[in-house]
Amino acid sequence: MLRNKLPKLLISLCISLLACEQAFARLYDDVMASGYIRMGVYKDFPPYSFVQEGKPAGVDVEIAQRVAEAFDLELQVHWITPDENLEDDLRNNVWKGHYLDKDQENPLAMKTLADVMLRVPYDKQYAYKQDSLGYLINEMVVMMAPYQQERWQVAYDSERLDAVRTVAVFQYEPIGVEVDSVPAFYFTSAMRGRMRDMTHHFPTPRDAFAAMQSGEVAAVMAMQSEIDWLLSEADDSQYRLAENGFPTMGKQTWDIGIAIRQTDRQLGYAVEAVLDKMIRSGEMAEIFARYGLRYTKPEFYQVAEEAAISE
Amino acid sequence: MKKFGRSTGFAVSTLVAAMSFAGMAQAGITDKDILADQMTTDDVVSNGLGPRGQRYSPLDKLNTETVKELRPVWSFSFGGEKQRGQESQPMVKDGVMYVTGSYSRVFAIDAKTGDELWEYNARLPDGIMPCCDVINRGVALYGDLVIFGTLDAKLVALNKDTGKVVWKKKVADYKEGYSLTAAPLVVKGKIITGVSGGEFGVVGKVEAYDAVTGDIVWTRPTVEGHMGYIWKDGKKVENGISGGKAGETWPGDLWKTGGAATWLGGTYDPETDLMFFGTGNPAPWNSHLRPGDNLFSSSRLAIDPDTGKIVWHFQTTPHDGWDFDGVNELISFDYEEGGKTVKAAATADRNGFFYVLNRENGDFIRGFPFVDKITWAEGLDDKGRPIFKEGGRPGNPADAKEGKKGESVVSAPSFLGGKNWMPMAYSQDTELFYVPSNEWAMDIWNEPVSYKKGAAYLGAGFTIRPMNEDYIGVLRAIDPKTGKEAWRYENYAPLWGGVLTTKGNLVFTGNPEGYLMAFDAKTGEMLYKFNTGSGIVGSPITWEDDGEQFVSVVSGWGGAVPLWGGEVAKRVKHLNQGGSVWTFKLPK
Repeated sequence: MLRNKLPKLLISLCISLLACEQAFARLYDDVMASGYIRMGVYKDFPPYSFVQEGKPAGVDVEIAQRVAEAFDLELQVHWITPDENLEDDLRNNVWKGHYLDKDQENPLAMKTLADVMLRVPYDKQYAYKQDSLGYLINEMVVMMAPYQQERWQVAYDSERLDAVRTVAVFQYEPIGVEVDSVPAFYFTSAMRGRMRDMTHHFPTPRDAFAAMQSGEVAAVMAMQSEIDWLLSEADDSQYRLAENGFPTMGKQTWDIGIAIRQTDRQLGYAVEAVLDKMIRSGEMAEIFARYGLRYTKPEFYQVAEEAAISE
Repeated sequence: MKKFGRSTGFAVSTLVAAMSFAGMAQAGITDKDILADQMTTDDVVSNGLGPRGQRYSPLDKLNTETVKELRPVWSFSFGGEKQRGQESQPMVKDGVMYVTGSYSRVFAIDAKTGDELWEYNARLPDGIMPCCDVINRGVALYGDLVIFGTLDAKLVALNKDTGKVVWKKKVADYKEGYSLTAAPLVVKGKIITGVSGGEFGVVGKVEAYDAVTGDIVWTRPTVEGHMGYIWKDGKKVENGISGGKAGETWPGDLWKTGGAATWLGGTYDPETDLMFFGTGNPAPWNSHLRPGDNLFSSSRLAIDPDTGKIVWHFQTTPHDGWDFDGVNELISFDYEEGGKTVKAAATADRNGFFYVLNRENGDFIRGFPFVDKITWAEGLDDKGRPIFKEGGRPGNPADAKEGKKGESVVSAPSFLGGKNWMPMAYSQDTELFYVPSNEWAMDIWNEPVSYKKGAAYLGAGFTIRPMNEDYIGVLRAIDPKTGKEAWRYENYAPLWGGVLTTKGNLVFTGNPEGYLMAFDAKTGEMLYKFNTGSGIVGSPITWEDDGEQFVSVVSGWGGAVPLWGGEVAKRVKHLNQGGSVWTFKLPK
């Protein structure tokens, strides 16, 4: 079953074959003329994108709404069912489409793709990653326009733990994590596996948090926005933010941006301008605050602000 | 029926007589028909030409003398644009062929003319992400039903004459990452199925359903610590925890999401009344997170068909760190040694070793490498447990320093295995196993820059490469008593199709280049080949109608090989997809 976790070099293989499908992709002018923009967000992924009271909600959905409004277009939400990794999601939703997206009645119909995909990490090292033959793995897309910085966070039950200053406490107290995630890797391998037996696995951070509320685990680790959202939903001072670091963990923070097809950079630049304005005006931070989330600007803005202060 | 396997001529001829009568009356398929499948030459009603899966036919009209005259009589296209990987084995009953195509499709075809009788196209949910590609490996037949598993993890029973749905049962939730791709097994009126699943924290299981009604009979999880259930008078009753209790061979709560998917289905031996199912790799894939044997991952399980209890298990790769799924078929066979009959079963594992087991109790009889190079183990000990080689285990991705690619480990066989899913065949005449195998290695390294669903992730990077300039695939004739290779045929592209052997001293298989090939079973000389127009990754069958012997094989390149790039992709990227059944016979 390793097919599930490999970099899918299929991508480079299919480029020549799929040139024709590429031609169907909507370019900037097509999007503007069509009256709608299709924004890709992950399905059932609070607080970023989910359905609340029958309506699309979440910070990414709100951001998508602002982008559509800025162009005076109607927003079409393109829900993304996550595949094994980001390469797959980009292929299935941005440049090629999924192999199961076939219309029996109309075999020539174009596949449903997002014009813009949100919540795509902005990391040059990743963007220029090569396969074993030296081909760019993600050459069909451009990843740009960082709009948030994300990190890991622990929340704990204050009736069981006084505080969480280091992760050492999880040698003795159970912690809940999402299956097949960095928190799962971390707690089952860091400190030579001494926290392994205390690591409880759950399908989602929501389930892990519910297990904390029911007393099964003393803490939960997930992305900062997920933890902030769960704490704000729970609205109970018994559950608190931890202040620990994650020693020996590789990537501790990462920027989040958008992805567009490499054939349509013009659309990317236009969206980037909208997002940049939202970040600088504070509108972005407001959207996050509305969901009870702390907002961290991407590294580019942090560096620029530091430079401005030091001048 | 337990006695059937032991008895000889009399029972067989009785059954053959019963069969031909049944044929005339157009009655449905019975357990007897399935058990006798290997001897009854006018039909193919089980996956593997008999529940033991030997893929041996007693037909000999086609033989080393006549096979060169083999001609195609018809070719049937699955149509549409859904062409990706045709790994099915057709079935034939009363002049009708039942075969599946990729994307959860079933076709009924007039076996004489190639005319379509009906087609069933499963409606799959929107946004489905099947873990394991869109292939399907075939149907099961029982009574008036044609039963198969869908990509959204349902068993569907169709009326064999109309193709209309009779019952449909959800085996697992596709949203949790489950899928069905294997051909179901029929044992004593029950449909037995495993599950396919990705790395989302699924747990493998084997389940039995009443073949007529589709009602569940029992379920058996394949990871230690999970409760099995049996249904008595419609009530779900606890039926023992697999492995006795949780946490014996797993750390923490990882057994809850332990993997061990049973994605290739199983075989059945009527003599011992045991079913043999293989299990996939443990989850998570990073072995450093789960010290221990991780039962029952990468194992063969002997299961009681009546109760779903695990009678014995044999783990080929304890604490797997190479993705060596233990799903490959375990084929029951008998051999004579020192004047005694040994009730054995054999399997050629992904990990590169060929195992001969005592099928009554799972004891290890012998094992040996069947590929040219194995880097991860020095050999097997006297219990059949691998002796791990120092430095042969891929590193821990958690050790990757930010921004740096971890050290690369070269490992052979690659994760696609010395042999993958494609079934081997056993000849009762030559007493050799014909094993479709591949010679390839992989480089594995820790990938520090990786993302999943908006989050940083720790991945492993892999590339597969051939070990030889001029071939990857090797069809091997292997003597299970000595481990000796009687002959080999080398193929440029990797072999990914099943094998068939016959009393006519022939071995049939297909290759990705598109050829259906026939070899002399004793010498390995290639006696016949025909290009079907697309790669063959299905399993050939043979049967007899009106005194003529037919051979059929599905053609349509795809499956796992083209999904993985690197050097291997260069050898297969020019191959065209397809989707058709070819049927051959001798001219009159």
